[in-house]
Amino acid sequence: MAGKRPALPLVLTANDLFGGEVVYFTRKGWSADRSRAFVAVDEAGADALEASLEEAIAAGEVVDPYLIDAGQAHYREQIRLTGPTIAYGEEALHVSL
Amino acid sequence: MPLLDRNGWTTESFTIVAYDDLDAALAARTPEQKLGVLVPNDIHPRMLAPVQDRLDLIAVQFPQHKDGRGFSLGRMLRQQGFTGTLRASGHILPDQFGFALHDGFDEVEIDEAQAARQPVEQWLHARALISESYQQTRDGPATIFEKRRAARAAG
Amino acid sequence: MYRYDEFDETLVRERVAQFRDQVERRIAGALTEEEFVLIRQMNGLYLQLHAYMLRVAIPYGTLSARQMRQLALIADRHDRGYGHFTTRQNIQFNWPRLKEVADILDLLADVEMHCIQTSGNCIRNVTADHYAGVAADEIEDPRPTAELIRQWSSLHPEFSWLPRKFKIAVTGAAEDRAAIGVHDIGIRIVRGEAGETGYQVMVGGGLGRTPMIGKIVRDFLPRGELLSYLEAILRVYNLEGRRDNKYKARVKILVHELGVEAFTARVEEEFAALAGRGIDVDAEEIARIAAYFAPPAYETLPPVSEAFEAAKRDPDFARFARNNLFPHKVPGYTALTVSLKPIGKPPGDATADQMRVLADLAEAYSFGELRVTHVQNIVLPHVRLDDVPSVWAALVEAGLADANVGLITDIISCPGMDYCKLATARSIPIAEEISKRFADAERQALIGRLGIKISGCINACGHHHVGHIGILGLDKAGVENYQITLGGDPGDRTALGERLGPGIDGDEVPAAIERIVDLYLHLRTGDGEEFIDTLRRVGLDPFREALQPRETIRAAA
Repeated sequence: MAGKRPALPLVLTANDLFGGEVVYFTRKGWSADRSRAFVAVDEAGADALEASLEEAIAAGEVVDPYLIDAGQAHYREQIRLTGPTIAYGEEALHVSL
Repeated sequence: MPLLDRNGWTTESFTIVAYDDLDAALAARTPEQKLGVLVPNDIHPRMLAPVQDRLDLIAVQFPQHKDGRGFSLGRMLRQQGFTGTLRASGHILPDQFGFALHDGFDEVEIDEAQAARQPVEQWLHARALISESYQQTRDGPATIFEKRRAARAAG
Repeated sequence: MYRYDEFDETLVRERVAQFRDQVERRIAGALTEEEFVLIRQMNGLYLQLHAYMLRVAIPYGTLSARQMRQLALIADRHDRGYGHFTTRQNIQFNWPRLKEVADILDLLADVEMHCIQTSGNCIRNVTADHYAGVAADEIEDPRPTAELIRQWSSLHPEFSWLPRKFKIAVTGAAEDRAAIGVHDIGIRIVRGEAGETGYQVMVGGGLGRTPMIGKIVRDFLPRGELLSYLEAILRVYNLEGRRDNKYKARVKILVHELGVEAFTARVEEEFAALAGRGIDVDAEEIARIAAYFAPPAYETLPPVSEAFEAAKRDPDFARFARNNLFPHKVPGYTALTVSLKPIGKPPGDATADQMRVLADLAEAYSFGELRVTHVQNIVLPHVRLDDVPSVWAALVEAGLADANVGLITDIISCPGMDYCKLATARSIPIAEEISKRFADAERQALIGRLGIKISGCINACGHHHVGHIGILGLDKAGVENYQITLGGDPGDRTALGERLGPGIDGDEVPAAIERIVDLYLHLRTGDGEEFIDTLRRVGLDPFREALQPRETIRAAA
């Protein structure tokens, strides 16, 4: 896999194959709970995470895995973590009928 | 390389040359030879019109399954009168098998790794799942429009 | 509207079985994700930021009450109780689970609906004028043509793996309400010299990264040759469209690179080779399809309705009557638009309950028929003027009575980064804030017709290029940044907007729009001059200053 990876510390993320929800790579598989994600803080950890990324792509058990900076500084990763920033459905459009 | 036709796995029975070597192969051809050419998918089929009657097989390259040029090439080769064996060669999915047959292909050639992952039952099953077609097919079924016309004529 | 015969029905059912099989093989690993992506997209299934998204086809935007109820059921049973209507007249569900998708497709097939080819590198939903069959300026209802194209393009063995997506739109009226100028193929129904019906065909329109307006390749194509001509165009595109660069793979790039004369010559060459090969359908089939679009059993009514006129004494109803109704060619009737743009809410969304209300209203007052517009609103196309007050009352109760059709708060917005993986910025919050800023009904009436269109990335699904005011959300050094364009127009005077200046922060956008609008109010010649006309008259320069916060222009009251 070519290309620069983001700066340390790193986290591996993807979408769940079945539900499509955002998941993070933990030592014991994938979890939607961000606090359980394995955080690579040095080169050795980053290499291990890259190896896990390759495995994930090959195994096909999650969709579109990729590495992100653990601080999730970019707003896209914030939104992936918290969900849509707007109310939707009944909560947004509710009118008692 | 694994070879498939509408009934399942089949075996190679052609001598196939590269497109660049075609003229030489035609010149050197022996009577009992079943001669085929492997063409890239970016030539226009009319390039083969002068020699198609002397070819037993044309194999069209499918460099990746997303690249659907070969489907046009197959259909156009049939429309310009090629009656030999048409083969789709490269990366094709079982889910494209039915389309390939409709377009006039007789055979599909894939690599070992893909054949291991997608056994012949998957190919035949994928093809059988869709029995109707709005568009013309080279492998048999009348189009939905033709069936409607027949029903109007009968009724 | 069209009803499936046994063949249409079989194909859609088989397609569901095929998708069930494909999902099983994906889960088992027989299909890699790379192989599965285009397959699932050809059944309308995307992966978004937080979940899958399923896009359901609503062919040429026409929907029955029964179908709308089924969409509501699907929203409740398999999603989070709502759906989103799109700029291509489809509906999207934002939270389906992979293993349930085949079940959803079964429910859709039960009401003659599907998700076939709503995504992927294939021919997509054919869109048409949402006032088809009711507008007085119509030469011919475009929907039979659109339905024929839908069938011809479904599961096409030659054209299912194109270089990129392919979008076709049809208009049959003097005014183009289908935006044919920005489609890969735009078809206009025209009359020939002897009064016979035929088609003017344009190719190479499109928005996105490199917006372009389509070029005419055929002034007059006889009706009976439509399908073989479309085959010729698609064949040239399939053979010669670029596959090396995703951003240069649409047919508009091919037309641009070859030039329209050379492209047309290629099409005519392939067309000559295809003519008479049995691709086209006979006149009986065309008539069979057209029969489904025969007008409903209209009553004979006077052009003026006393009940309707009397109801206008209520100023809220009067406002609704002024903004949300379209003149119907049959006296005493109207085409009524239900706005899905409530102030401060996500544009184009409806809850399952609201969908059921719309279905009930369609059944009671519109011969059971609804339309989805590419401005993300719903139309009840055949309402008696006498009934408009009752419809309106029901809409008020359901929160669906916003009287803002065509006005500044009737905003088109893509889902943006709140949902979409491709987005570079959010779009819905921008739409909501602008909407709230201009909520006042009197002010909206004063401003008049003004279309704001917002896209959350350069793919332009919000059609910002053809917005009178267009807003494009980008990522500037890790911060959301919005570029404003002015002067776009989707209809007959198709025009692409021009950038007004550097991008601005999200929270500055509503104020910037307000300054632009205030300047328009100051510069316009009278109440009647619409925003787009003032802009055409004075140009963009006066508005460039309005973009910046320091200057404010006081508008005349």
